[in-house]
Amino acid sequence: MHETQALPQQSPLANAARTLVPYVVAVLAAFAAVGILLALMGFDVLQAYSTILFTSFRTPNGFVQTLIKWVPLVLQAFAFTIPLAAGKFNIGGEGQMIVGGIGAAAVGILFFDLPLPLLLPLVLLAGMIFGALWVLGPAWLLFRFGINEILTTVLMNFVAFQLIDFVATQIWPDPVAGHPTTVPIGVGGELPLLLSRPPLHSGILIAILVSVLVYLYTDHTSAGYELIATGANPRASRVFGISVRQMFFTSLLLGGAIAGLAGAIEVAGVHGRLIEGFHSNFLLLGIIIGLIAKGNNAAVPFVALFIAILEVGASAMQRTMAIPGEMVFIVEALILIFVLLTDVVRRR
Amino acid sequence: MADTPLINLASLVMLAVVPYLLASQGTMLAGRTGLFIVSQEGIMLVGASVGFLGAYLFDSLAVGMALAMLAGGLFGLALAYFTTDLKMDQFVIGLALFFLGLGLSSLLFKVVVGVTLKPPIIPTLQRLPIPLLSNIPVLGPILFNQNILVYFSVVLSLFLYYLLYRTSIGLSLRAVGENPKAADSLGVNVRRYRYSTAVIGCMLMGLAGAYLPMVYTGTYTDGIVRGRGWLAIALTFFGGWTPQGILLGSFFFAIVDILALRLQVTDIGIPHQFLRMLPYLATIVVMIFAFRRVRAPAFLGQNYDRESRTAS
Repeated sequence: MHETQALPQQSPLANAARTLVPYVVAVLAAFAAVGILLALMGFDVLQAYSTILFTSFRTPNGFVQTLIKWVPLVLQAFAFTIPLAAGKFNIGGEGQMIVGGIGAAAVGILFFDLPLPLLLPLVLLAGMIFGALWVLGPAWLLFRFGINEILTTVLMNFVAFQLIDFVATQIWPDPVAGHPTTVPIGVGGELPLLLSRPPLHSGILIAILVSVLVYLYTDHTSAGYELIATGANPRASRVFGISVRQMFFTSLLLGGAIAGLAGAIEVAGVHGRLIEGFHSNFLLLGIIIGLIAKGNNAAVPFVALFIAILEVGASAMQRTMAIPGEMVFIVEALILIFVLLTDVVRRR
Repeated sequence: MADTPLINLASLVMLAVVPYLLASQGTMLAGRTGLFIVSQEGIMLVGASVGFLGAYLFDSLAVGMALAMLAGGLFGLALAYFTTDLKMDQFVIGLALFFLGLGLSSLLFKVVVGVTLKPPIIPTLQRLPIPLLSNIPVLGPILFNQNILVYFSVVLSLFLYYLLYRTSIGLSLRAVGENPKAADSLGVNVRRYRYSTAVIGCMLMGLAGAYLPMVYTGTYTDGIVRGRGWLAIALTFFGGWTPQGILLGSFFFAIVDILALRLQVTDIGIPHQFLRMLPYLATIVVMIFAFRRVRAPAFLGQNYDRESRTAS
């Protein structure tokens, strides 16, 4: 109790330190734990860790790769944290991303000839609408019957895996691709490049814009305040006239739309087409990011950047040192667990 | 007579019941003391990986199963410690351990087996016909000519029913999930019940995972659990958090599973992708009915703080 009262009087610097120190401890602890494991398996721990942490900064190529990875990660994290603010768990971001990608590809293929100013906005919008549609079922079941959203959103992922396979092999298949893939979308649907070598698409600007908008929405509007109040105490919120079920519904739909946008950006910016498997692990990493950030939307972009650095480094490590990339997934899970543990320590 | 298509199909359903049954009874057991586990998918993956590796390295399916249960038990121990002693949010730590399981299962396999062109194979579980009973027409080959885990999972369900509703331990156990405060004041050790059900429940999930390579594929592949862990949670709701309900419900899940597989090979004009969606969509539809009728344990998903004598 004394501690919480003393907080506002401290300088912003001390406050920042209080927030950051647990993270540093958690990251170090996770790296130490996995380092022991790596050493036991006979790998060069220092080289592995320097590869993981510095690949992104060694070459322009590495840095651009990290930025491209950051875009879907930060969006997937928001798809998770916005419903989380209302106390709901959206574990269906992957399905929503896939279906958003399908919607984007469908529009991009069907309206192949449209010029860029028309087609690109349509492609992105289709992604958002399809993503939101995919979570509509679970959101409605929660709204209408109070059915646990964790389960319904997860199950819809598995349905989406089949749907993307169907679209990529039966509706618009590209027979020469050698992997379930659709034909390319119209040139007007592709995101313009900011840099051409190495190629960096402008989806990063959209992700930055979304980050700012989400932050403003949740932290600086009354609608966002109602959202957070719902998550903090649904009973009290109901007393004060907030429609709690409506908040659940809206927050899930918003999350779905952002996940769908992530899918559309992958299609319009990275691949120029829909490829089965393009959604690899983004959901899980998004959830990890959201949980490490403790649902704080201002922190999400920075945590996402850190995770993007780890991910890019991990694939470099897998290539050069033959250490399985799953290693970094365990590092991330452990960071999350240690961040949660520092919370417990601080509570005491 | 012995091998008519229908008997064959029913026999396959009995095989498909097992992973659902084991994982859901585990979920139910822990849920009955108030711990809502969401790490099933990860724990089953670890069970599949460790179970396979144990069987492969020690050339014994029994060792594989034992190690898979041990690994599951460790996850249960962690879950119990984080939620009971450290009072962490059950969903958040459950997701974290799900991630850990996901990473560990794949990593262990890769590190131990390495990169090979042909995946290593273990022999699958043998049928264990029960003398006399397996000779009964129709029922014999379906019910009494199965592998040991089929028998075990059914007997376990019956045992859990007896334990929960016919013993004083079961009464205390149920009380912990319904009203830990009252149970505590009557001298029931809430913490001990949560620990033991979490560990045993997660051991069952580990075993459920080990069943998959040992019966279906003979090897471990990433994503071998294919969402069965999540389906198991849905099945637990569907079964009304009772052993007998889960026993019945798992047949429904297994039948949908087998049907979807069967329809894929018999060409009926529906793209196979839509048939593969069937188990997941059927689960969602079923949950609409289940959720309206079923009452979960009152303290499900909540931690019990003894010092404040309220839910935290």
